[in-house]
This record gives sequence, structure tokens and C-alpha cells, in this order.
Amino acid sequence: MKSHEQRNLFPGALEMMILRTLKRHPLHGYALAQHIKQTSNDLLQIEEGSLYPALERLLKEGLVEAEWGISATNRRVRIYRVTPAGAKHLEREVSRFERMLEGIMRVLARGES
Amino acid sequence: MNWLKQLVSRRRLYGDLSEEIREHLEEKVEGLVRNGMSPEDAEFAARREFGNVSLTEERARDVWRWPTVENLLNDIRYGFRMLRNNPGFSVVAIVTLALGIGANTAIFSVVDRALIRPLPYWQPNRLITLGEVRPQEGKSSESDTRIWNASYPDYLDWTRQSKSFESLAGFSGDLFTLYGTGEPEQIFGAQATINFFSTLGVKPFLGRDFAVGEDIAAGPKVAILSYGSWIRRFGADKQVLGRSLALDSKSVNIIGVLPREFEFAPQGNAEIWVPLHIDKDMVSRRSLRWMPVIGRLAPRVTPRQALAELHAINAGLRAAYPQENGTIQVVMVPLRDRIVGHIEPLLLVLFGAVGFVLLIACANVTNLLLARASARRREFSIRAALGAPRSRLISQLLVESMMLAAAGGALGLLLAEWGTSLLIAAIPRQLLDSAPFLRDARPNFAVLTFLCAAVMFTGVAFGLVPALQISEGREGEALKEEGRGSAGGIRMRLRGVLVIAEIAFSLVLLIGSALMVESFAALVGRNPGFDTQNLLVFFVNLPATSYPKDPDAVRFDKEFTDRLRSLPGVDGVTSNSVVPLTGGGASIRFVIEGRPVATGHENECNIRDVGANYFSVMKIPLLAGRLFTDAADTETAPKHVIVNQAWAKQYVDGEDPLGKRIRFTYSPTQPYREIVGVVGNTAEAGLDGPDEPSLFLPFAEDTNPFIPYIVRTGGNPASAVSAVRGALHALDPQLALIQPFTMDQIIAQSPSVFLRRYPAFLIGSFAALALVLAMVGLYGLISYSVAHRTRELGIRIALGAGHYDVMRLVLGEGARLTMMGVVAGLAAALGLTQLMRSLLFGVNAVDPATFATVAVVLALVAMVACYLPARRAMRTDPAATLRYE
Repeated sequence: MKSHEQRNLFPGALEMMILRTLKRHPLHGYALAQHIKQTSNDLLQIEEGSLYPALERLLKEGLVEAEWGISATNRRVRIYRVTPAGAKHLEREVSRFERMLEGIMRVLARGES
Repeated sequence: MNWLKQLVSRRRLYGDLSEEIREHLEEKVEGLVRNGMSPEDAEFAARREFGNVSLTEERARDVWRWPTVENLLNDIRYGFRMLRNNPGFSVVAIVTLALGIGANTAIFSVVDRALIRPLPYWQPNRLITLGEVRPQEGKSSESDTRIWNASYPDYLDWTRQSKSFESLAGFSGDLFTLYGTGEPEQIFGAQATINFFSTLGVKPFLGRDFAVGEDIAAGPKVAILSYGSWIRRFGADKQVLGRSLALDSKSVNIIGVLPREFEFAPQGNAEIWVPLHIDKDMVSRRSLRWMPVIGRLAPRVTPRQALAELHAINAGLRAAYPQENGTIQVVMVPLRDRIVGHIEPLLLVLFGAVGFVLLIACANVTNLLLARASARRREFSIRAALGAPRSRLISQLLVESMMLAAAGGALGLLLAEWGTSLLIAAIPRQLLDSAPFLRDARPNFAVLTFLCAAVMFTGVAFGLVPALQISEGREGEALKEEGRGSAGGIRMRLRGVLVIAEIAFSLVLLIGSALMVESFAALVGRNPGFDTQNLLVFFVNLPATSYPKDPDAVRFDKEFTDRLRSLPGVDGVTSNSVVPLTGGGASIRFVIEGRPVATGHENECNIRDVGANYFSVMKIPLLAGRLFTDAADTETAPKHVIVNQAWAKQYVDGEDPLGKRIRFTYSPTQPYREIVGVVGNTAEAGLDGPDEPSLFLPFAEDTNPFIPYIVRTGGNPASAVSAVRGALHALDPQLALIQPFTMDQIIAQSPSVFLRRYPAFLIGSFAALALVLAMVGLYGLISYSVAHRTRELGIRIALGAGHYDVMRLVLGEGARLTMMGVVAGLAAALGLTQLMRSLLFGVNAVDPATFATVAVVLALVAMVACYLPARRAMRTDPAATLRYE
């Protein structure tokens, strides 16, 4: 039973998506998972469980913070929000990702012509 | 740095995580159920979409820690629990390892002191030792570097003419009577040329070295103390310099103290060093070869060049002194050979034997681990199925192995400490004196490194085999196989090979020890040519001040022996210039009347000055002619000589020796002496020595101030010591009774006996240990095999196999392994016992009877080890095993 959590993502992609989602509004783990799934139109195969190691990494680096609270469905949940450091990190990562993507696209476009 | 806070708050973090994941799953299930899924399907779907829960949790936790270290700590904690829960397995494995490692370290620490550690001198590999040998000597002195000597005039010529040596130095043993408060005491010392210490590169720790002009005087005037005697006799007093000692009734100034680490094995018992002081004869007579010589090679000179130069110098001396040096050959070896060469074979054999014990121990522990690995297959399969990566399983097993090895190593270190001191304590004092470096043998840093290397090696070696096997990626197969009760193929074969190897190794050790025991028995059973029972041996040293002339010694000898003879319980008293079995002693050149030889080519043999009744007191048989008698061998009578059988055989073989006359050639004035008797041979250098040709003269004719006495008693000779000492002091209170020993003690402590008894005992112990380990291994394997074949055996019995058939089946399996082990062991022993040939006596290294007997005994013991599980197999209840299925 091998796990395929990041087989089709590059390193850091999951964290970037988490930060982006949380930046809009703080969420707890389950809601975060559903949100990412729906937003990506289920194009990305992400095991829900793989969010948690990523969240712990972000917590450890101080990019998100978590607080126990009560969810809309009246559950005791841990709600994650992006810290200012997290916001800055996200900006940097996104622009780096865009540059990379641009580079890749240019190469692909040249190959087509 | 918030890592400390992290560490403290981690438990809470982990709790949060579990709760969060649980909530996640519940919420998911709830959502799915709300969408119309059944609770069971929802639960399954939630888990599938979530992934491996425990793995996720572990990964998330990993974020917070240093995974390698913590995994390791976890493995250790887990391993500790495993070892504690299987005390039988753990104890057997740890004790097996401890014995293997402990015994190896103990032997290694002795080997290290003797063979690995450089000699404690400056640039020790530049030091050599020299000797002069004559082919005409009746014995092969060339092969025994410890008795190499040179004459003083030759030594001086070498020193003057050679350019290959920085320096050449001589030394010799010495015995002093030390007068102080109380009874005079005999102490061992050594005399040496003044450049002796500077040649070795040793400087006194207090005071100064000998100075030019201090040697070759009538007697010593200055002395250097050994560190030990400085502590013992002077309480480590730094004011000792300049004080004087009364040695042999001369006053001698203390000028120095040797450093604590100084040792010189050829004179290992010397408490005091004095400059060379010898009588005129020994200084001037070129044919008297008595002085061991050491030297330091000059810079950039190779040993080969030095020896070539010595040969050239020797050729000159041969031409210049044909009478004395006509057939002299110069021999040279590294000094190390003289000091440790004789114990090298013994130590290497012991080292090899104990190495086998380590191999067997490792095989046995591997076997234990393999057996346990089978028992733990389920556990590991489950862990693998739950997502434990292969590396974690391997590291878990390795950690457990290393823990076993560490525990075994720690216990082994204790055993090594104890074993080393035991190894040294078992060496007789006089032999330890000639190998002083062994005194300090204890597990030192090098030994510890060796120990750790051994532990690491064994740990990894036996840890990896099961680890690799389990993590071969056939977890599912293992889970399925679990209930089937078949004997796992590869693992069983591997265990079989290990048991075969153990049997083979222990057979080699058993054969080695049997050969040693036979050698020992042959040696102590050898007739030394005289009756060794009830003999007391001691020495008396007559100081020149009270006994200046030969007649004084003769008078003392007569009075003393008369007094001893009158003691109750004394059956006879005699003396000999060299006590049989103790070796050494003078040799003499002679010619037989009517058989001229070229100048310098005379034959040479042992010469012994024997007291009255020597042959009858010693019970040495007279084979022809007569013994010395007071009536016939007076001072004025014609000179007579007695020879032994070996002499008659070597020099006048086939003819009647009686009536032949011989002459000693050291002086032209020597008269012809008639051979009046032929006596039986006696073992001279030791029980294992050849029969050496010897000549005997009456003591009165050739006196010596240092007299070895031999007393035959009616009862226990040891109890006669005080009466003998009383008689000596009644005659002269200034004389000391030196080294009284019974002949039995002398034999027990002699190198020839020690050289067999010591390895016989040690290799015997190793072999016994090996046998037990191998049998434990065999028993374990057969038991395991029986346990796993229960179903098969049950079916066989159900199909009508009798108890006898089952027994034969199981015993047959054991017999097959044993036979393969025995064949391999015999083949290995054929080659390996050759290596111990120099230690053997009276038995061939490939003695067929020994090989056969030991193999049969081993096979019988092996069958007993197999019988116990076989009996269990025989009682298998077919109904029970089939129901169990």
C-alpha cells in the first residue's frame, strides 16, 4: 500500500495551494481538503491525509497558525490561518512558480512552432 | 531557539493531531451518509480518500522531530523490550557473545604485548642480536637464539673492525649475595658492557649511565637499580644515588635507577645492573663463548649489509685464530626474535584457536537470531503491511543485533579483564621473568579497539542475515505461510550450513586440544633418564672471600654433603654443575686418542661436573664399566671420565668406548682421560629435548663456586628444606640456600612442560566451549525443525509410520548435518594442525587415531543432542496435529 500523495505534484505545490486557500479565509483541515478538491475540479489526485503532514510543516515554520474552535457543523476543529510571514512566503512562492511556469511554457511553445 | 519548547509541548501536539484526524474522518463520514451512502460504505470511502491514517499521523509527527535519532531511540526502546521479553534467547545470545569476545580479547591482549607492541627501546627495529655457533657442537644451538653467545675477544674485534653498527654491547646474568640487615640475601642481577643501555636507547630515570672505565674491573664498583628494586628496597627514595650496597662483600655505589617501563627479557629477573666484571680467563680466552651480544645498526645500513661485513670480519678471525675460531659461524637476527621468537608459535596457535571460538559464537548467535526471526515473521509482516518501510525493519533488526553485541561486548570486557589476569597468573614465575612484557598485559586501548571492531563485525554480520531475509518484499507470502507449518526453505538451509560450520570448527578445536593433551601426556610420561621422585634441588654460592681456592670448595662440599647425609629422611646427596632438565651449562672440545682432527675442528659436547654418588643418587643406570669411586679417582690417580650413551653412539658408534682415551683441547697441558663408564642418557635441556652427548667429570677435579645440590629424600622433599637450611647455616651462617625447589616443581615450571600444559588447557577449554555451543546450535536446529514438521510427522504417523521410523527420520537429519560437519572439520584439521607442529611432542600432527577418535566422540555427542528433539517428535499425537490444522 504505497502512498502516492505527491507523485503528481512538485515539492511545495501542496503548501502553496494550502496557503492560497487559507489566505482567503481561515479553515479547518476537512474544509480545507474539500475546498482544494472542489476548486481543482478533482483534477489533482490528493489524498486527504497528505494535507496534515503539510499543515504540520507550515505550522512548524510559522507560516500558518492554528486555533481550536467550533465549526459551522458544530464540531470541535482546529482552524488554520495564514500568518504575515505565511503571506509573504506565498507571494514569493507564487511569483517564483509563475516565472517557472512561464519558462516552461516558452520552451513548449517554441517546440510547437 | 524554540526546539526545547517544541520538545516539551510535543505530546500535546501529537494529541491535537490525532483528534484532528479523527474529527476529519467523522465529518467526512457524516457528509457521505447525509448524501445517502450507507454508514459502512461511507466509513470505507472516507478511509480510502484519506489514505493510510497511521502513516499520515507518523509523517505529520516526523515534521516535529529529528527522525533518524528518534527512530533510533525508538528502535532501541523497542529492542530492549524485545530482549527483556525473551530472556532465554537474550541470555544465551549475550553469554555466547561475551565468551567469544572475552576469550578473544584476553588472548589478544597477551598477543598484543608480546608480538604486536614494539620493543620498548629507541628505534627497536634497528636492534639485532649476534651469536657464534660451531657445527661441531653436539646440539643445534643455531636454532635457539636464546642461547647465542660470543667470546669477549671476538666481541672486541667485531666492535673495532665493523662499520655497520652504531654500537655492539654484551651482557650476562649475575647472582649477588646482598649483605644488609638480617640474613644475607641472594639477588639476581645482570652485568653489561658500559654501552649496553645507550645501545638500547634507554636512559636511567634517576642518576647516570655507566661511564668509560667502569667495566672489566675485578668486581663492580657502581650499580644501577631496576625501578622495581628501587621501590621495594629503597622505598622510592630519590636520595638513593651515592648510597652504597654490600654486594658479595664489596661496597658498590648506586649511580642510577632505570625507568619504570624498562624491561629486558633475557635478564628479566635482574634487580640490579653492574658493569661487566669477569675473571681474566673469560676476558682473554677466545674459545669461551659466554656473552650474549646485542647491537644497533648504523643509520642506512641494512641487516644484510651488516651480516656481510660480519662474515668478512669472521673470515679474518678464522684465519687468524684457527684453533679457537676455525669453524665458527656468525649468526644474526633482529633482537625481537631473541625476545619473543620462542613464544610466537604458542601465541599464534592460541590466537587461532580462540578465533575459532569467536566464529562459532557468531554462527551460534546468527542461528539464534534466524530462529527468532522465524518466530517474528508475523510481527514484521504486519508492520510491513501497515506501511513500515523496509529500511525501518532493517534498522530495527540491526539495532537489536547491535544491542546484543554491545551487551555481549560489555560482559566480554569483564571476562577479558578476568581472563587476561588468569592467563598471566597461570605462567610460572620463572617463565614470566623471561617474558616480563607479559606482566603488564591487560586489555588496553588497542585491545578495546579490537573488541569494538569484533563486536561491530559480529553485530552487523549476524544482524543483517535475518534482516535481509525478512525485508525481501514477500510480506504477504510470509503472512500466508504463517499457518502452514512448513520448514522455511532458504532459512533452514542457511541454519543447516551454520550448524555444519560450527561442528566443523569445534572438531578442529577438539582435535587440536586432543593433540596437545597427548603431547602433554607423552611429555610428562617420558622417562627423563633418572628418577624424578623425591628430589630436592637448591644452589649454594661460595663467595670468593671465604672460599678463595678450589680445595676450599672441595672441603665445603665434603663437609656439607656429610652433614646432609646424616639428616633423618635424607637418602642421598649429590651435585651436578647443571641440574638435568634445566638446560644450559658448559660444553667442551675434545679429541679422541688415535683420531686426529684438523686444528679448530674438534668435536664439542656437554661437560658436567658431578658430585660423589651422582649416578646412584639420581638412579641413572650404569650401562658399562664403572662409576667414579673415592678409591679409584683420587687427585693423584690417572684422570678418568664417564660418558653417556648418546656420546658413545655419536662418537665411537659400534666400538667399545671403555678404555678409549680423550683429551680436552683448550690447553696443551690437558692429560688424556680414560673412559671408565657408560651411563644412560638424561634429558638435559627439558623433557622435550633430544638426548645430548655428555661427558662427566668428578666435582673435585673441576670445582665451581656456584654449586647445584640434589638431595634424595625418603618422603616429601619440600619438607626437608628447613632441615637442609639448618645444616647449611650450621656450617657457614653467611651462606644462603638459593632457590630450593623439588624436581617435580622444576618439571612443572619448565618451559617444555609449560609449552604443552598451557595450550592443552586453553585449547581444551576453547574446544569444550565450542562443543557446547555447537551442540546447542544443533539441538536448536533439530528442535525447530521438529516443531515445524509437526504436521508432516503427524501425517506420517497417521499413515502408519512407527515411532522408530520417526526417530530415524529426525536423527537422520541430525546425522546428515553432523557428517558434513565432521568431514569438513577433518579436512580443515588436516591442514590446520600442521601449524601447531612445533608445539607437539610424541604425536603426529595428523595422527589418524586421534582424528578418528575425536570424530567419533563428536558424532556420538551430536546424536545425543539430536535424540532429545527426536524423542519429542516420536511422541507426536497425529490426531492433535491434524486437528490443529
